Amino acid sequence: MLRLLNYKHPVNLLVAVDIIAFGLLCYHNSSKAFDWKTLLAGVIISVLFCITYLIIVKKGMGDEYLFLIVAMLSSLGFIMIYRLDNEAGFRQFIWLLLGISLFFLSYFAFIKIKTWSKFIYFYIGASFLLYILTLVLGTDIGGSKNWIIVGGFRFQPSEIIKVLFILFLACYFKDPDSLRFPLNKPKFLNTRLGRSLFLMAAVYMNVAFLFLQGEWGTVLLFLLVFLAEVYVFDKGKVLMLVNSAAIIICAAAGYFLVYHIKVRFDIWLNPWADISGKGYQIAQSLFAIAAGGFFGTGIGSGRPDLIPAVNTDFIFSAISEEMGIFGGMAVILLFFILAYRGFKIVMKVEDKFNKALALGIAVQIGIQTFIIIGGVTKLVPLTGITLPFISYGGSSLVTSFILLGLLQALSSGKAQRSGGVDKLDRE
Amino acid sequence: MFDLISSILKYIFTLIIYLFIFGVIRLIYLDIKSMNFKKSENEGYPYLKLINQRENLDFKIEETYMLKNHISVGRGNNNDIVIKDPFVSGKHAEINVVDNNFVLRDLNSKNGTFLNGEILQEGFAYLKDGDKIKFGLIDFLFVDYKA
Repeated sequence: MLRLLNYKHPVNLLVAVDIIAFGLLCYHNSSKAFDWKTLLAGVIISVLFCITYLIIVKKGMGDEYLFLIVAMLSSLGFIMIYRLDNEAGFRQFIWLLLGISLFFLSYFAFIKIKTWSKFIYFYIGASFLLYILTLVLGTDIGGSKNWIIVGGFRFQPSEIIKVLFILFLACYFKDPDSLRFPLNKPKFLNTRLGRSLFLMAAVYMNVAFLFLQGEWGTVLLFLLVFLAEVYVFDKGKVLMLVNSAAIIICAAAGYFLVYHIKVRFDIWLNPWADISGKGYQIAQSLFAIAAGGFFGTGIGSGRPDLIPAVNTDFIFSAISEEMGIFGGMAVILLFFILAYRGFKIVMKVEDKFNKALALGIAVQIGIQTFIIIGGVTKLVPLTGITLPFISYGGSSLVTSFILLGLLQALSSGKAQRSGGVDKLDRE
Repeated sequence: MFDLISSILKYIFTLIIYLFIFGVIRLIYLDIKSMNFKKSENEGYPYLKLINQRENLDFKIEETYMLKNHISVGRGNNNDIVIKDPFVSGKHAEINVVDNNFVLRDLNSKNGTFLNGEILQEGFAYLKDGDKIKFGLIDFLFVDYKA
């Protein structure tokens, strides 16, 4: 038995975590004796992770640690969601199945289709179409008008746009010329300056639309990912400085002009001033983290249900309460090594499009984690955004798995845009 | 009752999660170490490459060993290549350079040294590119690009 729990085989430990947690939850959720459904969910999910991991290892699908880390993260999230709300847990289970299938789908699609870097206008167009659809058809859920409901099936278009945005940036940094102004008339528009202006226009249009939807977290995420890409791939310093200045000015203006942003800032500085009103969320989150102590209250013994939005934005507080500070640090550590693996892939891949894409994915997962974990622990002002792979929510989970599939494809080395395409371009 | 079980299991749970993280970091470390070697491999010296899956071995061992001049192999700590395998003798074998050729010599080890599956009969043999050398349970590949 103990031989199976050897650290040399992390996948066994993953299964052990799932079995322990779901075995415990069997007794927790029902007042009746034993809840077979819960155990079944735990077993199915462990088997699914094992099979996926084995496929990745046996078929040589590139980096085998990426999925292992993500499987642990989604297990922890799934355990917590199941413990908080049985029905949400069941829906999350369906989303996980869909997420893993889309992981494989995006892996194969990225390898099979060789022309991903040619569709820059499609990525911009599709993003803007989705934004406009959201504005027209959008439904208000939880304060932000950012949901589309189609026949009982609802999703958040901004999550899909996260993928499109990274693809768009990767296209631009592979070949800035791909973002050409169609006419030749005003000459300066086809210089390097003109293209930079176009890039900025496209990025800030994205930001403006998200601003209209009230998605502050995603605004921050897009701007930081954009800055990171510019910092790494743009040779001059001007674009970087101009954008940093623009972002700081926008943030300052936002603080004075937009009520929401000012409130967020004030809560961050002092949540105790209005603890029963605006500061309630963050105060509850801090109480929960404090209640956990080092090892937590134990799964099922705490009261994380007192935190508002605990399934989505505040899942980290719930994990910290029931699994303790050590559990919370484990989550952060896992994200660390995930981002680190991402950077290693960035250094390994050759093609510039692949490099920019891998960097975008790694940075996006890292920054998204920082924004929300920093937010709920009151390190930075809180902005509502999901914790990748852990939070409840179909769109977010599925998008994260699509990004993971792309990263997996990049790491496998089978997705090299074989110099041939480049050569054809030059001729 | 539930609370009691839950509060006992939480320690085990945390321990397992950290073991998992340790395991993953260990694998990543091994992965990077083998990557670094490929970069520094500029001098064109021959080297010994481990064939066994390093993840499955209980003792510390490198993925590759450069062969510059005299090298001794054995379980004792004063050897150049230390293999803590119980089937390897304290002073097991040595590799010498004689006129630009590499000579593998068995130092009367208990379980013998094997070259390409056969035990070293006369106690020594010249090495050439692609030879398989076995000490105890450990297999090495002799790689010499010059040849």
